[in-house]
Amino acid sequence: MSRSDPTPTQPGPGPAAWRELARAAVEAPGAGAPEFVNELLVIELAGTAYALPIERVREIVRLRVITRVPRVPAEVRGVTSLRGEIFQVVDLRRRLGLPAAEADRRARIVVLHGDEGRTTGLLVDAVREVRRAPASSLRPPAPGTSPAVTALCLAGEEFVSLLDVDGVLDLGHDAA
Amino acid sequence: MAGRRSHSGRRSKAQQEFVSEAEEILERLRADLADLLDARAGAEEPGPELVNRLFRSAHSLKGLAGGFGRDAMGGLAHRLEDLLDGLRLGRVSLDSPAIDLLDEAIGLLAGLLDVEEEPGAAPLAGAAAEMVERIQAALCQADPTPGAQPVAHLDPALRRALTEYEEHRVLENVRRGRHLHLLEATLDVQAFEEGLTELTQAAREGGEVISTLPAPGEAPETQIRFTLLVASDLDQDAFRTRLQLPDASVRRVHAGGPPAPAAEATAAPPAPEPPAGPRELTSLKSISGTVRVDIRKLDELMNLVGELVIQRSALGAFAGRLAADARTARLGTDLGKLHQGLDRRLQDLQAAVLDVRMVPLAQVFEKLARVVRRLRRDEGKAVRLEIRGADTELDKLIVEDLVDPLMHVVRNAFDHAIEPPEERQAAGKPAEGRIRIEAFQRGNHVVIQVSDDGRGIDAEGVRRHAVQRGLVAPDEPLARKRLVETLLVPGFSTRDTVTATSGRGVGLDVVRTNLTALGGLLDLDWTPGLGTTVTFTLPITLAIIQALMVRVGGERFAIPLASVLETLVVEAARVQRSEGRELLNLRGEALPLRRLADEFGLVADPGTEELHVVVLGLGGARLGLLVDGLLGKQDAVIKPIQGPIQRLRGIAGATELGSHDAVLVLDVSALVEDALARPEAA
Repeated sequence: MSRSDPTPTQPGPGPAAWRELARAAVEAPGAGAPEFVNELLVIELAGTAYALPIERVREIVRLRVITRVPRVPAEVRGVTSLRGEIFQVVDLRRRLGLPAAEADRRARIVVLHGDEGRTTGLLVDAVREVRRAPASSLRPPAPGTSPAVTALCLAGEEFVSLLDVDGVLDLGHDAA
Repeated sequence: MAGRRSHSGRRSKAQQEFVSEAEEILERLRADLADLLDARAGAEEPGPELVNRLFRSAHSLKGLAGGFGRDAMGGLAHRLEDLLDGLRLGRVSLDSPAIDLLDEAIGLLAGLLDVEEEPGAAPLAGAAAEMVERIQAALCQADPTPGAQPVAHLDPALRRALTEYEEHRVLENVRRGRHLHLLEATLDVQAFEEGLTELTQAAREGGEVISTLPAPGEAPETQIRFTLLVASDLDQDAFRTRLQLPDASVRRVHAGGPPAPAAEATAAPPAPEPPAGPRELTSLKSISGTVRVDIRKLDELMNLVGELVIQRSALGAFAGRLAADARTARLGTDLGKLHQGLDRRLQDLQAAVLDVRMVPLAQVFEKLARVVRRLRRDEGKAVRLEIRGADTELDKLIVEDLVDPLMHVVRNAFDHAIEPPEERQAAGKPAEGRIRIEAFQRGNHVVIQVSDDGRGIDAEGVRRHAVQRGLVAPDEPLARKRLVETLLVPGFSTRDTVTATSGRGVGLDVVRTNLTALGGLLDLDWTPGLGTTVTFTLPITLAIIQALMVRVGGERFAIPLASVLETLVVEAARVQRSEGRELLNLRGEALPLRRLADEFGLVADPGTEELHVVVLGLGGARLGLLVDGLLGKQDAVIKPIQGPIQRLRGIAGATELGSHDAVLVLDVSALVEDALARPEAA
C-alpha cells in the first residue's frame, strides 16, 4: 500500500447504512433489490471473529514497539511510529470490554485511514481473511451486543460481528 | 453583497474594514494627486515613484471595491487605473485634459464610499458612470501619441529584457537628456540580497534605477552577477565617482545631451561606445531572485532532514560499536571521522532549511500598526504606537498564528487600558497614550512584549468577579501570581462578562491557549495607574529541536533543551516541604519541584539517595522536574501524534529515535503551568 494515501479507496456505507442493509436482508430476503456486496477484513479477538469494512483499512503490520502515553484512557495502548508517522494504537479487546490477554506472534496492528492527523492503529489478536459480504448475508446484531457492532455477517456457519469503526474510535463517549 | 443595510444599521465588521481601508487609499490618492498637480504647475517632471504610487492606489481600490461588490466604485477606480497606467507608461501626457478630471473623480469615489448602498447612492453611481465616459472622451481629445518616440541606442538584447514600463522610462530619460549607465556588479550568492540593496541605494543617489537584471556569465557558482540600468544627470565618470563602489563597473550605454523637444526626439545621439561583446540578456527574465514556496514543501524538506539526522545518529552509534571492538577499532575510528564530517554538513543543511522558514516579525507589526492607525481615526483616541525589533525573525508558521493573539492584546491596550485624555491628564500623564511593541531574541526563544502606559489591571475588579464566579473564596487574599492565574482561567474574562469595566485582561485566556498551542508562554505584569506589559515567549521554530532525553519509570521522554536551564543531582535529604509542595533550595531561591512520575502516573524507580533534577525555565517561571535518570542530548524532529485523542495535555508530540521507537516530547509550558497553577498538591 502506498506510503501516505490519505483518502480511502471508496467511501463505504456508514454504520446506519449497515444496520439498514441488515434489516432489509431479514425483512425481504431475496427481494428484487440489487445484491449489494462489500468486502470485510475479518479479524479475531478473544477467539471470536469480528470484521471491519475494508475501505477503512490502510494496511496491516506486525506488532511493533508501542510507547505508553500518560493521561489517556486505558483503551489507548500507546503510540507507535511507522515510516515517520506517529499514531495512537487502540487496544480493540479493551475497547470492546473483552478480557485482556498477552499479545502473541499472531497479533497485528490494523492501521486505519485517517484524515487530518487521525491515522490510528487497532491492536487485534489476529487477522484472518478478507471476505466478500453480500447484503443477503447480513443480519441485525442480537439484542444486548456491544453498540459498536452494526451488523452480523453470516460466514459459513459462523457469525462475524461487523464493527462500527467511528464508534470504536470515539473514545470520548460510551465505553462499548 | 447580501442584503441591504438599513440607514441606521450598524456596519458589519467586514464592512468597517472595507471602509477604513478604502479611506486610507483615497487619502493617499489625494495627497499624491496634489503632488502630481504641483509638479505639473511647476513644469517639472513628476517622479516615477509618485506616478507608480498613484497607479497602484487606483489598482488597490479597484480590487477592494470589486471584492465588496461595490460596482460603481470599482468601475470608476478601474478607469482611473487605466488612465494612470497610461501616464506611467507615457501613453498619456501629463497635460492631457483627462488628468484635470482626476480630482473630481477622487471626490466622487469618496462620496460613493460614504453613502454605501443607501438610497442616496443612485445619483452618485450615475455620476460615476458619467465620469468614466468623461475621462474616456478627454483621452480621445488628447493627442494619443505624445510625439515621435525618441530612440536610445540600447543593445537589442537588453531592450528585449525590459518591460514596457522600463522601456518607457528609458525613453523618457533619454528625452530629458540624461545619460544611461549599465552598472555591473558581482555579488556573493549567500549575501546577494544585502549586496543588491546596497548597490541599488547607492545608484539611486546618482539617478533613477530603471531595471535590475541578473546577468549570466563566467561568475563562479558561489557568485551571482547583476546589471543595473541607471539613468542619471551625471556622466560616466561623475557617476562612478558618486557611487564609490570599487567592486562595481560602470558602462555608458547612452550619453545624454540637451533635452530634446518631444516632437523631434528621433535624432538621438549615436551610441558612443558599442556594448562590449554580445550579451545574452534575452534569456535572463526567467532568472528571478526569489521563489515562492508552499510552506508544506518546506515541512517535507524538514522531515527529510529530520530523517537524515536520525540515520546519522544510527551511523554514529554503529561507528562507536566498531571502535569499541579491538578487531574493528581502526574501521570504527575511520567511520567515526566520516560521521563527524557528515554531522557538520547536516547541521549546516538543517540551519539552512530552518533559515528559509524564518520571517521577520515586521509583517505582523505592520498589520498591528495599521489597526492602531485605524482605531485612532475611528475612535478619535490619541494613542502613539512604538515598534521595536521588527527585524526579529521567527518560524513562518508561528508568525502566522501570532497575528490574532497580538492583535487582541493591542486592542485590549487601546480599548481598555489607555484612559481618556482628561483622565490621563488628571493623573499627571501625557494626554496621548502610548503602546509599545518590542521583540527580541533570547536564546532559542523570541520574546514579544506589548506594553502600554494605561491604568494597569484592576485587581479589585478581577477579585470581585472571581468571587462571584466562585473561583476565589471571599476572604482569600489574592497574591499577584494567583491573580494572573485567575485571569487566565478559560472563560473567566470573556467580553460579555466585562463590557463596562475595563482593565481586566479581556479574553487573555484565549490568547494564552493560542500561545500554548505554539509552545509559547504568556506573562502579565502591571503597575496600577502606570501601565501593563504582556509578554509572549515563543520558541524560534517548531520544526527541529535539541532535546534532553530522560528516563522515568522505565519510559523515556524528550525535553526540549531550549526550556532546560540546568540539570542537577541532589541528595534526597535536601528536598524540603512547604504546604504540601516539595521545594529545593537552589542557590538561595526556592525552586518548586514536581515528580514527572507522579504527573504521568508512572512508578518511579525505587528511591535512591540521589535525585536527578531538570530545571525548566519558561518566561519567568521555573520548575524542577524530578526524573529517574538523564540519558543525554539528541536532535529531535517533533511530530504530531495522530489518533482519536487529539489533545494530550503535557505532551507536545513525539519523536522517532534511531531504533524506530517513538519517544514522547514533553510540553514544557503545559507542565510548568499545571504544576504552578495547582494550588496544593497532595
